Amino acid sequence: MTHLESEIKNLKSEMLEMFALVKSQLEKSKQSLIRLDKDLAREVLVHEKRVNGFELKVDRDCENIIALFNPLAIDLRFVLACLKINSNLERIGDIAEGICQFVLNIKLEPEKSLLENTRMMEMFDTSIMVLDDTMQAFETEDTRLARSVFKKDEILDEINLNANQAVADFIRENPERINQSLYLLSSIRKLERVGDQCKNIAEEIIFYIEAKVLKHKSREQKQA
Amino acid sequence: MNKKLEARNVNVYYDQTHVIKGVNLGIDMNSVTAFIGPSGCGKSTFLRLYNRMNDLIEGFRKDGQILIDGKEIYENGMRVEDLRKKVGMVFQKPNPFPKSIYENVIYGLRIRGINNKKMLDETVERSLRQAALWDEVKDNLKKSALALSGGQQQRLCIARAIATEPSVLLMDEPASALDPISTSKVEDLIYELKSQFTIIIVTHNMQQAGRVSDHTAFFYLGELVEYDETKKIFTNPADTRTQDYITGRFG
Amino acid sequence: MNKTSINRLIDVAFRYFGLACTLFGLVMLGIFIIDVLIKGLGRLDWKFLISLPSRFPEKAGIYTALLGTCWILVLTALIAIPMGVAAGIYLEEYGKKSRFANILEINITNLAGIPSIIYGLLGLEIFVRTLGLGQSVLAGAMTLSLLILPIIIVATRESIRAVPRSLREAAFALGATKWQTIWTQVLPASAGGVLTGIILALSRAVGEAAPLIVVGALAYVPFAPKTPMDEFSVLPIQIFNWVSRPQQGFTINSAAAIIILLMITFLMNGIAIYFRSKWQKKVKW
Repeated sequence: MTHLESEIKNLKSEMLEMFALVKSQLEKSKQSLIRLDKDLAREVLVHEKRVNGFELKVDRDCENIIALFNPLAIDLRFVLACLKINSNLERIGDIAEGICQFVLNIKLEPEKSLLENTRMMEMFDTSIMVLDDTMQAFETEDTRLARSVFKKDEILDEINLNANQAVADFIRENPERINQSLYLLSSIRKLERVGDQCKNIAEEIIFYIEAKVLKHKSREQKQA
Repeated sequence: MNKKLEARNVNVYYDQTHVIKGVNLGIDMNSVTAFIGPSGCGKSTFLRLYNRMNDLIEGFRKDGQILIDGKEIYENGMRVEDLRKKVGMVFQKPNPFPKSIYENVIYGLRIRGINNKKMLDETVERSLRQAALWDEVKDNLKKSALALSGGQQQRLCIARAIATEPSVLLMDEPASALDPISTSKVEDLIYELKSQFTIIIVTHNMQQAGRVSDHTAFFYLGELVEYDETKKIFTNPADTRTQDYITGRFG
Repeated sequence: MNKTSINRLIDVAFRYFGLACTLFGLVMLGIFIIDVLIKGLGRLDWKFLISLPSRFPEKAGIYTALLGTCWILVLTALIAIPMGVAAGIYLEEYGKKSRFANILEINITNLAGIPSIIYGLLGLEIFVRTLGLGQSVLAGAMTLSLLILPIIIVATRESIRAVPRSLREAAFALGATKWQTIWTQVLPASAGGVLTGIILALSRAVGEAAPLIVVGALAYVPFAPKTPMDEFSVLPIQIFNWVSRPQQGFTINSAAAIIILLMITFLMNGIAIYFRSKWQKKVKW
């Protein structure tokens, strides 16, 4: 294996580590919100520093590879894609952190009926699944799997759209729980953005493997 | 940590010309260090201090210290022939002897009186394998070295240099006379040899320095302007002269 | 006529002129050889080769002269080759850039230009008289050695100079001493050129008459030399002697002897050319 090949391999392992880290942050944020586990929430906040550290390291490593090795073609696209995926992942990490921040501010455990009406669990599960799919697609260079992310993201959009109504109804009936309801709504918004970040990641994966740029294209064009 | 190769306040003169000015440099064991800089900046001259090849040049004078493994190599008791067993050199233009491949590789041993056939055979195979040339020539080691292609000749010269099991390998623009494919073979070779040797490579090809070296030393007009990890030099050099050179603004 | 036409004319004219000049020498040589062959070929037989000289042309042979030439060749080679090659190596590899070396350089070039008869006088004074060697083969060989020494030295130096610096650098970098480098790399690489120079020098020695006459190679020697201290004669002198006699028979004899001498010379030159081409093939820089 040449020097460049081993550097690229290391970069890929690093990215997968970051994927795994961010995914576990998201899962923990789900648990901490559902059960209002404040200790778990604090754990996530501490680990956010690791996520940030990772982001800086990946940025530096990409810079070094470009400066030292002049990668070309697929190697160059891979490194450029990693740079962007890196910031997408860091933002997902921020989202998990944000949700846990809410958890620390909520006083009472969320009402079951609210969780059900807003389809909160489904929102969490779907966003984690979408992140997992992109991670898989990145690892196995599976562009079909990457493309499937665009469709799954629709569920997140749908839940997000209907959440307004569900939360508004709940607040009318339970005005004393207005704070937690608003936090919940914000969490749903944040989870919807997880979907957007994963879509961006999927676009970058398809870019580096197929050299096709899907940014700013319509959904139909992306499926092609 | 003690450095494998150390230069302390070294100055070199050819008659009245001051070609190396007050250089201090410490090189770690089992690393690849690249010397870069524009033509005439003194990098080849400095490289040749380590195996005292400059002694052959009229008017050469030096002060300061050059230490290998903590020992000054210019002291009176040091036999140059012993030094060159520990410090091997590969030149810019491949210069195999007009003899067979076998005779080329074992030259360093023959001149030291080693004639045991078994030992010589083992050395030839080991050296040619390390130089990634064994598979291409193993069927006919008696073939004349001059019949090999340029890239093969250079790898033969590398095999010849490492046959005496030196701990330091000096390479003076080893790939500049080769085609791109041979060049990348030599570069891969250097990357692999790093684990067994301490390598210094003079190159005027910056990309090459980036690809193969851990540390880079930038020479300019006889001075050592900057010496640091290659990553640092190539992404954020401390001296503007270094940056100007690397970005192609001069030289 | 305009300028262009004149230039063209000059061009064509020179071509023919140059050709004529070249052919002149060859034609003269050709005429000479044919003449000699016509006169002497018939006289060549085994008896001619093994007969001693005599007053009667039919009985005279070149045995002693031929053997004398062989002795001279071998002895001169034994003396001149080691000295000349060693001196050439020393001058080219060791004695450089000093005032002394410069003086040496100039003097060697001068030596090559000294008339051969002066070498004869030198040999007479030093070898024959002062060293008491008498008019022996040894004295003759030493004299000729002096004569051809500059040729060998120059040929050695040129061949060594042709060996590229990069070869020596490679050997030094591997830890060879100066002598090891010379012995294992420079000399083998320059061997062809040195050998060519040696053969040409010896070929010259074989044909010399003047210095040997001075040293005392007698024209009438009824015996072949058996030791280096014996008196001797050589082919060129024998030819000279026969040519100066009036009898027709001796003219024929000298023609025959000339053929032998030419054969020896051509053979030696042929060997030199063979070695040179073989060497050039083996060592392609």
